[in-house]
Amino acid sequence: MLRDRLLSPYQHGSSAVHRLPAGTKLLAAVACAVLIVLLPRSAWWAHAAVAGGLVAVAAVSRADLRGMLLRLLLLEPFVLGIALLALLRPGGVPLFLSMLTKSTLCLATMVLLTATTRFSDLLAVLWRIRVPALLVTTLALMHRYLFVLVEEMERMQRARRSRTFVAGRSSAWRNSAQVAGQLFVRTSERAERVYLAMCARGWKA
Amino acid sequence: MHVPDGFLDARTLVATAAAASVGFGLALRAVRRHLPPRRVPLIGLTAAFVFAAQMLNFPVAAGTSGHLIGAALATVLLGPAAAVVAMTAVLLLQSLMFADGGITALGANVLNLAVIAPLVAHGVYRVVRSAAGVGPQGTLLAAGVAAWCSTLAAALACAAQLAASGVVAWGTVLAAMGGVHMVIGLGEAVITMLIVAVVMRARPELVMPAEPARATARGRTLAYGAALAIGSMVLVAPFASPWPDGLEHVAERFGFASRALAGQPAPLADYTVAPLLDASPWLATVIAGGIGALVAFAVAWFVARALAAPGRAGARH
Amino acid sequence: MESVSLLEVRDLHYRYPDGHAALRGLTFTLAPGERVALIGPNGAGKSTLLLHLNGLLPDRPALNPAVTVDGLPLVEANLPEVRRRVGLLFQDPDDQLFCPTVWEDVAFGPQQLGMREPQLSRVVSDALAQVGLGGFGERLPHHLSRGEKRRVCLAGLLACDARLLVLDEPTSDLDPRGRRELMMLLTHLPVAQLIATHDLEFVVETCPRAIVLDAGRIVADGPSRALLDDEPLMLAHGLERPHILRHRHPH
Repeated sequence: MLRDRLLSPYQHGSSAVHRLPAGTKLLAAVACAVLIVLLPRSAWWAHAAVAGGLVAVAAVSRADLRGMLLRLLLLEPFVLGIALLALLRPGGVPLFLSMLTKSTLCLATMVLLTATTRFSDLLAVLWRIRVPALLVTTLALMHRYLFVLVEEMERMQRARRSRTFVAGRSSAWRNSAQVAGQLFVRTSERAERVYLAMCARGWKA
Repeated sequence: MHVPDGFLDARTLVATAAAASVGFGLALRAVRRHLPPRRVPLIGLTAAFVFAAQMLNFPVAAGTSGHLIGAALATVLLGPAAAVVAMTAVLLLQSLMFADGGITALGANVLNLAVIAPLVAHGVYRVVRSAAGVGPQGTLLAAGVAAWCSTLAAALACAAQLAASGVVAWGTVLAAMGGVHMVIGLGEAVITMLIVAVVMRARPELVMPAEPARATARGRTLAYGAALAIGSMVLVAPFASPWPDGLEHVAERFGFASRALAGQPAPLADYTVAPLLDASPWLATVIAGGIGALVAFAVAWFVARALAAPGRAGARH
Repeated sequence: MESVSLLEVRDLHYRYPDGHAALRGLTFTLAPGERVALIGPNGAGKSTLLLHLNGLLPDRPALNPAVTVDGLPLVEANLPEVRRRVGLLFQDPDDQLFCPTVWEDVAFGPQQLGMREPQLSRVVSDALAQVGLGGFGERLPHHLSRGEKRRVCLAGLLACDARLLVLDEPTSDLDPRGRRELMMLLTHLPVAQLIATHDLEFVVETCPRAIVLDAGRIVADGPSRALLDDEPLMLAHGLERPHILRHRHPH
């Protein structure tokens, strides 16, 4: 399912890249992104070198390149819109190309990171580097229950669609809003139960 | 409106990251002080909810769909400080895991969607609600207007950051993003109101908590928030003035002038709108914003009345 | 003097915030290692009672608590220790499995109790092995089946060295294989168990004793076969005689 693909970027493997510590990979990815952004626009050779490096890492990790390329192509219309506006400026063509190149290279870096690193390992790194506990807990709970909520949402949508006999924009809006509203009610009730479960196992806020 | 990597320049990245850290830090402190432990898991689960709800389709026309942004909704449901934390988590996950929004641009995206949007939503929500009453109708109206304002505020901040980075001209980007998001904001307002209406009918206490005792704490958060939002704007504005951008401005003027003399037609949007906006972009935006706000208010009023009509108030599923 | 009973409930009352009475004076005891079923119609107060056994209810511990666990009355000061000894298995395993990986979830309880490496890893792998999920440490919760999720939750409770397991509808929504695996597991665990369930066949096969709860009151407490075979009693309280007994008794 495409949704599942979108929601779970991690691809299990045992390559050298997979076996690197998560902290190292996160640091390398962020450093690479910063480098890409700071490279002068005219240094085409540097951009090409970075691209070559990323391809090499991708090859070593033996990750599925087709999936990654698909995700690289999922550019938001907003991005294209702004980029096109940039074209209108005097000297806009190098700017446009630079923006597109940099954003694609950084995207590729992050795609490689998430394909070779488990989210739970990334969370452990954030915990170790003393990111505020509340944020890490929130990230962990969000990631854990994301899939649960999406499945619940799909079930509710299917139920609604089975009882919708009039196709149309207003009924689509009403249905989506109903699903979202009910999902929130169920979510807050679940949050209450999760709180009880955490207390039952000795958690102190 | 997630900004990818490579669009903003280094000083804007640093400035927005600093502002975002301050905003997040203040929100974190407020949550630690005022949120009962019982509600802590709710932040994480609401973040998951916002993420999931963003996938819902709200068809617009010819196969395109609108989607919920969720900052205002999170604010109405959680309160401003917790909403800041939840939206920050959402943006972090989107950037890290789904490459939606750049990793270096995280500061800017967090500032726009996780700090400015919730704080503006909260301020507007409180003001409208105190004027329109705290009943169902007033709450819905306040939620709708808050959603519109927060969408516009985030868009304008984003536009300012793009202009300060020299990516697009000030006038162009403010008009484009401001204009587009005034319309998108209407969609966000209606969607937010519809969802709040559903939640209100099922569990009203989730939307209208009775906590007058914490008014001063919230007032302080509001004051911090307003100061932060204004401060961010002020911080970004000076970068827009002289230096490379100013020189490019001048070059543009001369460029346009020479083209006009040669009789070449210039791109319509840029040419007709630009001179006014280049002269005083803030004034033009304020005027447009004022008109847009009135339209948004009117729409929200009608929708709120329809949703909160007494006949439907008792309906359950 | 060592107390004989592991769990003592004496005249327990509870009212919901809206005034509705949920529990009206419950009294019963549990001995160490005993396996008891808690049965009754929906709305009888089973889940509410279970939440009282590790202090999640009432919201504020009473000065003179009705519940005593292993000699410890359920006052504020004893709550952490009681929650270690009484392991509560929630009806929806998704509510309880809140950590990013299986390993982290099983380790959650021991970590809250202050356990550190290398003892922590040992305890976690022992607990996972005990429930038949050795090697599942790195798995993600949403990739597990319902039965596997339940067993992970169980491992999390065993890792805290619980003396009493309190289970809320453990076999509901399990497929026949999952149900059978869980039954095998529960009957082989030496720990005392109080199991709220609708699965009357399960009760006959695994629980020597049963307590029947209806409208907040205990209406029967005794050997499960005798109770479940008592058709008028069963029907009077929204239950029925399980098939497994109908076949065995040739009248």
